[in-house]
Amino acid sequence: MVGIGGEYTPDFVGSKSSKFVPIPIFAIRRAGSIDQFRGPRDSASIALLDVGNFHAGPAFKYVSSRKSDKYSELTGLGNVDAAYELGGFVEYYPVDWLRLRSELRQGFGGHTGTVADVSADVIVPLIQRLTISAGPRFTWKSTNATAPYFGVDAAQALASGLPMYDARGGAHSVGFGSQISYRINPQWEVHAYVEYEKLLGDVADSPLVKLRGSSNQTTVGLGASYSFDFRIR
Amino acid sequence: MRRIAFLWVGLAAACIALGAAAAFETRATKLQAIKTVGIVSAIGEEMSLTQAGLTAIGNTGQSVSISAWGLDELIVQQATKLLSGRFRVQPVNYRRAAFAAIRDSAVAPVNLLRSDPFKELVRSDVTPQGLDAYIVITRARSKLGNGRNVEGVGLAEYRTLLADYGLIHALYEVRVIDGKTFDVIEKRAAAPLDNTGTVRIAGPSGSIDEPLKGSVSSERLRAAIADLIIRSLPLTLGDMHLIDGP
Repeated sequence: MVGIGGEYTPDFVGSKSSKFVPIPIFAIRRAGSIDQFRGPRDSASIALLDVGNFHAGPAFKYVSSRKSDKYSELTGLGNVDAAYELGGFVEYYPVDWLRLRSELRQGFGGHTGTVADVSADVIVPLIQRLTISAGPRFTWKSTNATAPYFGVDAAQALASGLPMYDARGGAHSVGFGSQISYRINPQWEVHAYVEYEKLLGDVADSPLVKLRGSSNQTTVGLGASYSFDFRIR
Repeated sequence: MRRIAFLWVGLAAACIALGAAAAFETRATKLQAIKTVGIVSAIGEEMSLTQAGLTAIGNTGQSVSISAWGLDELIVQQATKLLSGRFRVQPVNYRRAAFAAIRDSAVAPVNLLRSDPFKELVRSDVTPQGLDAYIVITRARSKLGNGRNVEGVGLAEYRTLLADYGLIHALYEVRVIDGKTFDVIEKRAAAPLDNTGTVRIAGPSGSIDEPLKGSVSSERLRAAIADLIIRSLPLTLGDMHLIDGP
């Protein structure tokens, strides 16, 4: 499956302004198999354990770098390198229309903390081709995953004009997401989604968010994908 | 430094290409050498009844016996007819239940790492031994909806808020097992018959009309399943280069 999408998302986590980001869509699955539900916030993952309604396996997320010279709000805070989060996921469907998912990932590079995501999605097929889904989300991050983005040390305080701040880990955000997808024909599918996050705890109290940004984070996205079969040999 | 990196990448690509070519060559050579085959089929003893989509809490799949339908006999008969042009097909005896009892592991890497379980069964359970190869046809698996796996022959219902959709499936895979070494020479799952349905599963399937649902034992249902098998078998064996295209 190949496709292209885009999302209108905050410039950086905690920002009050947003930007449009193009997103390539690419997936390989067995010929003819039905698309499995996937949430916009899900990390890239492979279900190595699959017992029908319970899936588990490794998960990976790329967190892009945060360059201080790109946005005026970040002036003086320095760059944060790109981070690679490696971990695992578990997913359980008590019924076909309800997905409970949790991810636990360890960061490398830009941050070296631990991140946990928990989400639930009610998935309602309205007709064969049209599916809507929605549900709550919660994210927890350790201090090492929070401080590089929301802490302000003495040098940064001097350069940025923000007060010094010691950002510690804990509840990072709570939110709600909804998605709609329509399969035009067996090849073409279009989808759109909205994800809202309310930043919490030390993240929401960070001077970067309080004085220059917003704790309300909304992402709107849409995309189209084309599925085709190919046979090896 | 960059030139050395390119050289290594080129060397790796060449090794992969040569390895793949050698594997195809070995497989083609082994298939060429086959003169006598026996056919084992073990997909038609039972039919699953599955509901997916908007289902009630606690809904679990069921299965019913359809051994009286004689689907495995039909498969052996059809495969014999198709393969006879190229191979001498000999009847074989085997315990169908033993072949039907083998399941894939839920842990995907285990299936890649362990020895194919059908090899041992062909060695120990099939008579006569000594044929050049054995064609083994067993159940394949697919996803239906989000949290349901379906296997083999089945009748499924996909429920949505505004409408329900019924479909039948006959999911199977074919192995060619060397009669001397018992290595799997070739393995392929039957592909979907067409690309028109929107409730898709990874194998031969078709939608069914309302009157067919709920009449599990009906002759029409048996005929519809048999039709899936009869139409898909030549395509699958053709894909495996066991027969000249359908």
